[in-house]
Amino acid sequence: MPRPGITRIKTVLFTVAIAKIFMLLSSGESFAFHSGGVAECMGCHNIHDAKSASALLAGTDISSTCLDCHGESGAGGYHIATPDADMPAGTPPGNMTPGGDFGWLKKAYTYSPRTGTTTVEPGERHGHNIVAVDFGYTADSTNTTAPGGDMDATKLACNSCHDNHGKLRRMGSDAAPTFGVTGAPIIASGSYGNSPAPAAGQAVGAYRLLRGPGSTAGSGGKTFTAVFNAAVPATYNRSEATTPTRVAYGYGISEWCATCHPDMHTATSSKMTHPVNQGLSSAEVDNYSKYKGSGIMTGSAATSYDSLVPFQTDNTRNYTTLKSLAVNDGSKATGPATSDRVMCLSCHRAHATGWPHMTRWNNDGELIAVDGVWPGTDSPSSIASQAKYAQGRTVTETTVAYNGATMHYASYQRSLCNKCHAKD
Amino acid sequence: MKSTLQKITMALPAALLMVSVSAPAANAEIKASYLYSLSDFYGLVPYSWTRVVIDNWHAETYVLFQNNVKVFNGNGMEVYEFGDDIDVGIIYDVAIDEKTNIFLLTNNKQKYSIVRCNYRGEPKETIEIKGLPDELKGFIPFRMVYRKGNFYLASLSHMQIAVVDRNGNCLASYDIKPMLELSEEEKKKGSEMDMVGFNVDNDGNMLFTIPAIFKVFRLTPDRKLSSFGQPGSIPGKFGIVSGVAEDNRGNYLVVDKLKSVVMVFDKDYTFITEFGHRGVNPDNFIVPDEVAIDKGDKIYVTQTRNRGVSVFRLAYE
Repeated sequence: MPRPGITRIKTVLFTVAIAKIFMLLSSGESFAFHSGGVAECMGCHNIHDAKSASALLAGTDISSTCLDCHGESGAGGYHIATPDADMPAGTPPGNMTPGGDFGWLKKAYTYSPRTGTTTVEPGERHGHNIVAVDFGYTADSTNTTAPGGDMDATKLACNSCHDNHGKLRRMGSDAAPTFGVTGAPIIASGSYGNSPAPAAGQAVGAYRLLRGPGSTAGSGGKTFTAVFNAAVPATYNRSEATTPTRVAYGYGISEWCATCHPDMHTATSSKMTHPVNQGLSSAEVDNYSKYKGSGIMTGSAATSYDSLVPFQTDNTRNYTTLKSLAVNDGSKATGPATSDRVMCLSCHRAHATGWPHMTRWNNDGELIAVDGVWPGTDSPSSIASQAKYAQGRTVTETTVAYNGATMHYASYQRSLCNKCHAKD
Repeated sequence: MKSTLQKITMALPAALLMVSVSAPAANAEIKASYLYSLSDFYGLVPYSWTRVVIDNWHAETYVLFQNNVKVFNGNGMEVYEFGDDIDVGIIYDVAIDEKTNIFLLTNNKQKYSIVRCNYRGEPKETIEIKGLPDELKGFIPFRMVYRKGNFYLASLSHMQIAVVDRNGNCLASYDIKPMLELSEEEKKKGSEMDMVGFNVDNDGNMLFTIPAIFKVFRLTPDRKLSSFGQPGSIPGKFGIVSGVAEDNRGNYLVVDKLKSVVMVFDKDYTFITEFGHRGVNPDNFIVPDEVAIDKGDKIYVTQTRNRGVSVFRLAYE
């Protein structure tokens, strides 16, 4: 077949990529491969294949092995790293899990916020830079050790935080659980709102196979002493355009993060740092309840929950409580009480986000929404498309960076720090 | 611009080498020889995990990566590209028919459709999908295969398949998940098992893999579902299965990402041989993902780590 030359100028950014993201995310229930504990050995280890250069693990390194499945194409419940092939310029990563999509680490932005200046925002600023050679993820070149800690960034891997063998387990009743790396067989995942309550002689897996007391150290050598108590709805990799995905966080979240970032935690640092694991003041609770957007304080506690600014429920280990709050239908929308706490994940996501410092919202700009919409280079709004607001992102990218949430704040919205502090 | 001699040298390096890479099992009668990797004038095109589709009528190969479609000739050299410069939305997949029409599975303004393009990749017609049954409400196809005048559309995450004609009319649909007969334990877990590989064989049977349960499935048009596969490391057993395709003799090619091999099974699911294996040599794989085969028995295997698309030739002895 005759064809013209191969060279064509590529000029078109994709203005409709949001369709792909939203439409692919209409399902994504929990996955039963790990089932709360160690998966089938043959799913990760290549036991007796002497012909391969690596006879044991599937990937070149630990994280690459994880991404063999979790980095697959097409948004799905357990996918957390969109392949390069699915992320052309202007198109965001596809997954909208509470932890975020590692694909954001590959989304760099360059823009001119004002005449004569250029801002370069490297992708590596967007999250935890796991090392996964097969998939092009490399160590953080700026933070060579964990911020607020000393862990070698070149060692950061999925199993730095997750126990790839999932030994930590939750036993006892949902109301009064106990944890250990032995004690009873794991019968199912313990991560979900619909996870079973372990009967006597049974256990369920720790939340997301995260390490905890008794777990061996993973890559990077850190030993966790805190339990990450939480529950997530069974369908969690989804757009939050209509209802939020509410992860119910309980006792221990910030202490758990402080394992690698001790100087970021008020309990383990003498440095000035934002409080974590501290109860919200009555003023902050009042702000959270009433805050609907910049200058709009007409909200009510019963409908004030915002998954972009989540909080830790009391200091609870009660999984009956946590599981009841883990919903994605908007039925648990009540904001915090003074017994609830601010935590690391009130502002950050665990994997990566569309914003610097892996925060849940953009903190590198005066306004996160303008002219009533999320900004973007391709916005029909002459204001929202301005470079200082769009910051190199398409509307789709901005929207997905907010997990698909409809822009429901003030028409000119400032930082979501104000959800608690209401300084705007 | 490099000289013609240089181009030929780059395009056909393995034609000179023709290294036999298989280690056939006792009953194996198939060998795979590495030929080359899909290339342009600058060398190997460094794809990672991409979509590869064969145009058997014109001996060309289409590769979709980041909304850009590149066309390679029968020697694995790039001859054309399009996609970035047309306003059709996000391109999910590509198919080609016998009349040189190029079909793109697209999502434009939150609406998916099939866009027919001419041989230059210029959009000429949008085919809307019509008549889907209620069970496919919310159906979002991510893969498209053209066979004998019909399009087979698959939603991997929903595990649903729709067969539509050239006008977009739904001819048949399949909701796979209820057909899997999950155990009560799996149902209690609320498990989701998504399809990874999807293809259609020459008889119109739909092929797909579900890596979570280490199996390859074949679904006949009259809804008979069969499967094969067991977890394990020895030849013929599965680690993480991915792409699947039928060769020209009715055998099934199955990609295993964990073992980094392509396995060959006969039509009765009996293991014949496997080749590749993890490594950095040209005839090795690093996490292969998809497989396609042309009528000349050349198979195309996608990989990660920027290793592009490797092309082998199967020899039947």
